[in-house]
Amino acid sequence: MSVLRLHPQKCTGCLRCELACSYMQTGEFQPAKSVIRVSPFEGHTSYAPYTCTQCAEGWCMTACPVGAITINAVGAKDVLDDKCVGCKLCTIACPYGTMFYDPGTRKAFKCNLCGGAPACAEACPTAAITYEDVATADWLGDFAVERTARVLAEAR
Amino acid sequence: MTPATLTAPKQLKTTSTATTRPGGYAGNLLRVDLTRRTCRAEPWGPEMMRELLGGVGLGAMILYRETAAKGGKGNVSWDHPDNRLVLATGPLAGLPVWGTGGLTVCTIGAGTNGPTSTQANGFFGTNLKYCGYDAIMVQGQSKDWVYLYINDDVVELRDARSLVGLDTWETQGALYKETGLAGHQLSVYSIGPAGENLVRFAAIQGDYGHVASKNGCGAVMGKKRLKAVAIVKGTKSLRAADPRGVVQAAEEIAHDLRTDASARSLYEYGTLPGVVNLSKMGALPIKNYTTNLTSNVAGADMSVWEAPKLRENFDHRGHQCNACGMHHCHMSVIRHGDQKGKIVDEPEYEGWSGCGWAIGAADRDGVAWLNTQCDRACVDVNEWGWLCGWVMECQEKGYITKEQLGFELKWGDVKGSNRLLQMVSRREGFGNILAEGVKRAAEKLGGPAKECAIYIEKGATPRGHDHRSRWEEMLDTCTSSTATMETGNPVHPTEIGQPARINPFDGEQVAKYVAGLRGRRSFEDSLGICIFTSRTRLEYICRALSAATGWAFTVDDALRFGKRTAAINRATALRCGHTGAMEYPSTRYGSTPVDGPAKGQAIRAQWEKMLDTWYAEVGFDRKTGKPLPKTLKELGLEWLARDLWGKKA
Amino acid sequence: MAARHLIIGGGTAGMNAIRTIREEESEKSSITLVSAERPYSRMVLPYYLDRSIAESHVFTATARVLADWGVTAHLGKRVTALDTAANTCTLDDGTAIPYDDCLIATGSSAVRAPVPGADLPGVHSFWTLDEARGVIAQIQPGSHVVMVGAGFIAFTILNSILSLGAKLTIVEIAPRILPRMIDDTGAALVQTWLKDHGVTVRTGAKVARIEDAKGKKRLKFASGDLTCDVVIMATGIKTNLEWLKGSAVKVNQGIVVDDYLRSSVPNVYAGGDVAEGRDLISQKPAVHAIEPTAQEHGRVVGANMAGKNVRYRGSLIINIVEVCHLDVASFGAWDDAGAEAASGVKADRPAYRKLLWRGDRLTGAIILGRSGDIWTVNDVGMLKGLVQSGVSLGRWKEYLKKNPFDVKPAFIASKTTSTLLPETVLGRPSKAPGETPVAV
Ligand SMILES: Cc1cc2nc3c(=O)[nH]c(=O)nc-3n(C[C@H](O)[C@H](O)[C@H](O)COP(=O)(O)OP(=O)(O)OC[C@H]3O[C@@H](n4cnc5c(N)ncnc54)[C@H](O)[C@@H]3O)c2cc1C
Ligand code: SF4
Ligand code: SF4
Ligand code: SF4
Repeated sequence: MSVLRLHPQKCTGCLRCELACSYMQTGEFQPAKSVIRVSPFEGHTSYAPYTCTQCAEGWCMTACPVGAITINAVGAKDVLDDKCVGCKLCTIACPYGTMFYDPGTRKAFKCNLCGGAPACAEACPTAAITYEDVATADWLGDFAVERTARVLAEAR
Repeated sequence: MTPATLTAPKQLKTTSTATTRPGGYAGNLLRVDLTRRTCRAEPWGPEMMRELLGGVGLGAMILYRETAAKGGKGNVSWDHPDNRLVLATGPLAGLPVWGTGGLTVCTIGAGTNGPTSTQANGFFGTNLKYCGYDAIMVQGQSKDWVYLYINDDVVELRDARSLVGLDTWETQGALYKETGLAGHQLSVYSIGPAGENLVRFAAIQGDYGHVASKNGCGAVMGKKRLKAVAIVKGTKSLRAADPRGVVQAAEEIAHDLRTDASARSLYEYGTLPGVVNLSKMGALPIKNYTTNLTSNVAGADMSVWEAPKLRENFDHRGHQCNACGMHHCHMSVIRHGDQKGKIVDEPEYEGWSGCGWAIGAADRDGVAWLNTQCDRACVDVNEWGWLCGWVMECQEKGYITKEQLGFELKWGDVKGSNRLLQMVSRREGFGNILAEGVKRAAEKLGGPAKECAIYIEKGATPRGHDHRSRWEEMLDTCTSSTATMETGNPVHPTEIGQPARINPFDGEQVAKYVAGLRGRRSFEDSLGICIFTSRTRLEYICRALSAATGWAFTVDDALRFGKRTAAINRATALRCGHTGAMEYPSTRYGSTPVDGPAKGQAIRAQWEKMLDTWYAEVGFDRKTGKPLPKTLKELGLEWLARDLWGKKA
Repeated sequence: MAARHLIIGGGTAGMNAIRTIREEESEKSSITLVSAERPYSRMVLPYYLDRSIAESHVFTATARVLADWGVTAHLGKRVTALDTAANTCTLDDGTAIPYDDCLIATGSSAVRAPVPGADLPGVHSFWTLDEARGVIAQIQPGSHVVMVGAGFIAFTILNSILSLGAKLTIVEIAPRILPRMIDDTGAALVQTWLKDHGVTVRTGAKVARIEDAKGKKRLKFASGDLTCDVVIMATGIKTNLEWLKGSAVKVNQGIVVDDYLRSSVPNVYAGGDVAEGRDLISQKPAVHAIEPTAQEHGRVVGANMAGKNVRYRGSLIINIVEVCHLDVASFGAWDDAGAEAASGVKADRPAYRKLLWRGDRLTGAIILGRSGDIWTVNDVGMLKGLVQSGVSLGRWKEYLKKNPFDVKPAFIASKTTSTLLPETVLGRPSKAPGETPVAV
């Protein structure tokens, strides 16, 4: 399956992906509802997008007491709104922190790869997010190690 | 230490006008009274939005309406509690058009003691709009240092005493710590020591490297004892009347910026190419306008100043503003020299000129470092260049002695410049005189020293070019009501009926051209969008605005709107005591280049004529400076005509 | 002959086991389910209570689905005895069911505090669907509800009661609320939060007696009586294992199981609330009585019944409850007195965190934050990930001690993601719930 491949070196922290995601998922511009999140690293010189890995276990999916999370046609774990009761178990089950909950709708929400045309990848001006048929991986780890060295040194 | 409660904080009542509100707007203005320590959300309606848009459109009106001196003629001065500090976004802020984090600051500034319109980008506009506000209007004066904290409906003035003395980057860091937030989750615009100490050219700096630099707006903040504004990325949603239309217009603009010949280099390298390009036109200011030859700067090798080399000299990392795809803003890690390992924001062209060429410095690492020092102290890099360059020249010529200054400051000495910067920001020793800005310091010293100083008689200083070969901007800057260019930086002039090219040294053509471009800048600065990402066709911007708001906004509407805004600012400026007599460059600023591409081009010889033409073209009265009643009526400003001309209008 | 699997209890563990057997087996086996209740999810009952879902929504398998899955179901029947020598169980109607292997997943039930009057009509428990129906019928807008007990289960229905427009008073015998879910500081914060949101909480209050009072109920205390319309007793639960007495299955706090979830009788498995399995953090046996543990137990048992040999690495305690738009969550060994701990409060956001370490591994965490607060949600999951993966935090430990609110960089730079990605419960990617094969 295709996954979101993240290229943190290219990310400028413009948050365009968040904006596009929220628009695609909700029809309004509200990055607070984006399921891709850009995090800062050292001294505001480094940013990287972060989203659901569509992990093999699917902790969110197996935790849901009512089977409200399924796997959609492009292989993404996807919340079925009419089944979700809003119990939040998935939000504490996902060990990556990429299950979200909307108090307005009382539903959980997550990245569903926009059904195969991810808005974030399309919106990113620097191609820091690409949609590719590769195995999912820890795209940010090495980058984060390098770009937090200073933060860690300062924290001492 | 753990306080015993998690308080459900007091929330402001905000009125939801979602059904009638044009798209793109958050719907509330935030009124902050520092004297009374109150924060209030004031809803504003669709008519007012249509009339004032946001940014300088809104700010100009607030200044005009609210800063008249009580019981009599004139205006409150910049340091009066009744002065307003308007921090405004606009209808495009927070939308996916490139560069929509915009902040426009409008206030009676400390430089000219008149109105201001100065911009910064970053994430101010985005975060504020998502919290539910289109602008912040600050008034009054706090007893103790405070900062304004905004998190959706939670708006508070908080104790900032522990932040006093911190520079702007340290302030942001401290507020990150205090709130437990990081990155763009919290947008912080603050002042450093220069603002606290009322340095007349203190700026407001935000989000690591974005500076609203003009007219001492930082001093206004300092006078109000408002150390910072910290805005959590809100959780409210922004609607657009036609969201697809906004996305499409954004694409159109992006495509234009990427491909259009005039925008492309900006797209790739931001303002970096300016250094080499302007040096070829004689518009790079060198050593306080004493020369236009880069070879007169020790160690200058222009080949390393080409944009790619300039950028690659550093370990550079993109640091874009909201939703922006330009390769403009960057953070850089210095790779060489004394400051190796330090993080700086990649200087804009104005940084390279102000902290570099204008003071005879060509060491890129040192200049970049000094530029960030200015940002951190919250000092306008442009005025810093004129001030520091002037001190250097005066020392060289013996007009300012080593004893007076306390040390020796030679051309190109960035460390010395930083030493001076720290003295000025803290008003120490001679720094206290310099903190008054170039004009006032020069006047204080008088004599030949004054002759070397670059300023406008209103009290402002120009942006970081040598305007002796960029006459449009000198004229614009001198006639402007907002302490910096008011029309400037033309793009696609033919789109608004102006010639593609003029003879830059023909005063008549220049004046007509400047007058003819009028309106566009004020329009752009009302949208919450970046000056650089609006370097596209006005038509596209209007399309984005129309899609966002649901209005059918045309290019004509845009220009008319801009002219109206400029007229209102002019009215406020006049009330502040600005006169035609102040619309002159200082001796040095208006002098004739002695070398370089513009050698011998004497603007002063044509100045009067240029003013005449300009006044006639814009429809202002040459004697009083007022917009003529006819002009105002054409703009639909009958009320202003009555205000300015009385019944006879 | 195909294997005969017997599942006792059609709750979370039982249904997960059945589904997994069907997912994993290569040859279709015979599955028999005996369950005192129709299969439904208990933890969804609060949403039925506040009427945001219909009753039908709580069921995890209809008769039709069970039939499709080829399950022989005895619903509404109880198992009364298990003969592990004869490999037969007996139902309350006398039916005897032989099996090759069996899963005991009979869950728990509510127990009421031994207070005179606790068995009066109008005094409720809230654990089963039947009990939920009883409570629903009683609460009207404006009703005054008294909840006796301030534990986790009480809190799961708190929001529902309030959203029905009822007035709520919580009484708790202990000096503090949520004793088994968060620490003292967190509990104090939640208690004030509740007060700010109009919920009266009386801690250290011992109910002496409950009596009828003209159609209402009166709760007697040493001082200050309470009169109300509805009493809900959320005073604890016990495992449903009485019927197992005298069998060969070894029971401690719960049924003692090995890493394959087998009891002392090798062809008898146990899972969910009744099982005393390995706790991931302490590595010691424990009874969790939470949904995720029941799910994982059920799946592992199902796979093992289907002939796989899945070793279970242990379950992690994770809990979340929403209290008037404040999310309260805890993970792992949050109450480990021997751990190194750091905490922080951001009163205005509002947020509280406590992180606990053994060595440089995060072993427990408590997190309080505004519900739907995007940054809290992100961190909630990441804290779970840090505890679950047990990554070595190295210098990030010190960083987190100083900055407990800045979890993201620590999580990412510790490469938690690469540790987690290969982790699965069954050693293979999970299947979607609807994907279970109907027949193999
Ligand atoms: C209101 C409420 C809210 C909850 N909220 C949460 C939450 O937010 N998070 C969380 O982690 N957990 C929560 N729980 C707990 C969670 O529901 C249980 O931990 C979980 O259901 C345990 O699953 P189980 O399979 O072990 O038992 P159960 O789901 O209880 O299933 C046991 C089954 O066995 C049947 N049974 C019992 N005795 C016999 C017998 N002798 N013969 C045949 N059948 C029998 C029962 O009828 C039932 O069908 C909540 C529980 C309740 C009641
Ligand atoms: S939300 Fe989390 S648990 Fe669910 S698929 Fe994505 S990473 Fe896995
Ligand atoms: S919140 Fe919704 S999707 Fe998540 S576990 Fe609960 S019911 Fe399932
Ligand atoms: S759009 Fe691309 S560059 Fe911008 S923040 Fe997202 S990933 Fe980074």
